[in-house]
Amino acid sequence: MKTVSMPLQTNTLKLTLNSSPEVLERVLRVARHRGFKVELMSWHSEQSTLEITVSSERNIRLLSKQLEKLIDVTQVIDLTEVNQEKRA
Amino acid sequence: MAVTQLTQAITMRGADLLVSYLKKEGVDTVFGYPGGAIMPVYDALYDAGLKHVLCRHEQGAAFSAVGYARASGKVGVCIATSGPGATNLITGLADAYMDSVPIVAITGQVPSAVIGTDAFQEIDVLGLSLACTKHSFMVTDKDDLANVLKQAFTIAKSGRPGPVLVDIPKDIQLAEVEAMIEISTIDKIEAAPLADLKAATELLLQAKQPILYVGGGVGMAKAVGELQKFIEVTGIPSVTTLKGIGAVPTTSPYALGMLGMHGNRAANLSVHDCDLLVVVGARFDDRVTGHLETFAQKAKVLHLDIDPAEISKLRQSDISICADLIKVLPKLSIQLDIKEWQRQCWDLKQEFGTSYNAPFTTIYAPQLLRQLSDKLPNNAVVTCDVGQHQMWVAQHMRFTRPENHLSSSGLGTMGFGLPAAIGARHARPNDPVVVVSGDGSFMMNVQELGTIKREQLNVKIVLIDNQRLGMVRQWQQLFFEERYSETILTDNPDFVMLAKAFDIEARTITQQSEVLGALDEMLHSDGAYLLHVRINEADNVWPLVPPGASNADMMESV
Repeated sequence: MKTVSMPLQTNTLKLTLNSSPEVLERVLRVARHRGFKVELMSWHSEQSTLEITVSSERNIRLLSKQLEKLIDVTQVIDLTEVNQEKRA
Repeated sequence: MAVTQLTQAITMRGADLLVSYLKKEGVDTVFGYPGGAIMPVYDALYDAGLKHVLCRHEQGAAFSAVGYARASGKVGVCIATSGPGATNLITGLADAYMDSVPIVAITGQVPSAVIGTDAFQEIDVLGLSLACTKHSFMVTDKDDLANVLKQAFTIAKSGRPGPVLVDIPKDIQLAEVEAMIEISTIDKIEAAPLADLKAATELLLQAKQPILYVGGGVGMAKAVGELQKFIEVTGIPSVTTLKGIGAVPTTSPYALGMLGMHGNRAANLSVHDCDLLVVVGARFDDRVTGHLETFAQKAKVLHLDIDPAEISKLRQSDISICADLIKVLPKLSIQLDIKEWQRQCWDLKQEFGTSYNAPFTTIYAPQLLRQLSDKLPNNAVVTCDVGQHQMWVAQHMRFTRPENHLSSSGLGTMGFGLPAAIGARHARPNDPVVVVSGDGSFMMNVQELGTIKREQLNVKIVLIDNQRLGMVRQWQQLFFEERYSETILTDNPDFVMLAKAFDIEARTITQQSEVLGALDEMLHSDGAYLLHVRINEADNVWPLVPPGASNADMMESV
């Protein structure tokens, strides 16, 4: 039996968003509700991009897949994964 | 990005554009309640030729829209004013969200100029909607209204369906808008391409003891026919969730019934023993799995679902396919060699069949519901509320389509049954509609008897009354040392008199000997009818998986 819970991990996601006024609320609500603590974030309103660093015992895929479902989220990139691939 | 056009050449008020758009979408009935900030829309509805059902509480309107959508497969529409009107919709939206039901809710908002000033009946509905809708809009530009409406309907019904809220400030309802507007559709909803079909086929062929775990997604995808063909060809024994009921014919030899907390023992034991779990439109809900780590412990998982976020959310899948079930299931319909396993499942099914021997003269609700089920035609819609009676409906009534069994499954909302039946009756005016409710749930939206009276709806109500909040009482008995805190309702109203106050025929029965005659009287009556059924409060729902236990450890009775 495989479980989805893991030791505490920190990940950074880069999101591309539609520029609706409530879009940050949508993203932060999903992060909180799905069990992810926001450690750091950087919002660029002109490009409508958000870099968000979160920590959780849950797999980051659980969050990124929920964020991808939001109509106002057009792209989710896991920068932690990208960086690991670069290092490898 | 696809672009379509609305072919209207005149200017009109935003409210008129809304109503004409609803008609263009094929909406024939809407459910709602007027108020200050939505008055232009009600003015537009006055002579628009679109049926509006006045519910007696906005929560009733929302559940009626859910009932309409679930019984018909179309998008349900509800309308409310700002502030309290909108907050009263929220529970219905949450219900639709949890059960993936396509709803569009239209709310009036205070005029744009005073938004954010704590104006009369102002509340931040967009903010409230975030946790309980698939998506929501507040219209800020009058020229964007048509585009928003188009997107709302597209989002509500595409992919995994869900509720969408459109909040429209009063000034935009009143503004003259150009009706000829280019409408762009969003292009986010594409399902993932079919992948891993070969691996899925291999998994199926290798399995010696496969079980099909069928959820509500099958009905939502309108893939019941494809699923039945899949079962016929593969011969895989199946179990269903609460929302999956109706997707698998109960006459199917290896249909083992509902699984989970109040599931059939044969269903739970066969899942416990299986070596491959084929999950179709289901999501490993805790009421289904019991203790997750011991659920289908020996099984590999093949998960088919339209929503990528459900894959490996709670249980890691070995192979998954995120696509339309209508397209996937036929590609996996292959013959399997599982005769020995089929025999085992068949034996379990025989061993744990239901017995209706009730060695007493008072009414045994499971038996009554089975008798009611036997009397209803296949096209009947049954809605229910939440609690013991809901589980008895799921266990003892028989359904041939998921659209015929409307039960608040994910959210478990008491007060769902009566307004959902009103919606179902409007969606399918030629099919019998029966509400099965409990004395606790019924009082939660009892005002909708007024809607039944107003619309002269032929809705039959079976009110199962144990003068208790029965399911909570059952848990207090089993897990809280019989400390019956706030679950005793011996001060219930006189339900027959209550029904009669709304010109609804009604009768009370207390003895088994009265049941068959009373059911006939109800079903053959001309209009609405309330059958008040008194039962013993000691009758509990069995079997039961205690919280935190494995599904293999079911309690049978105490």
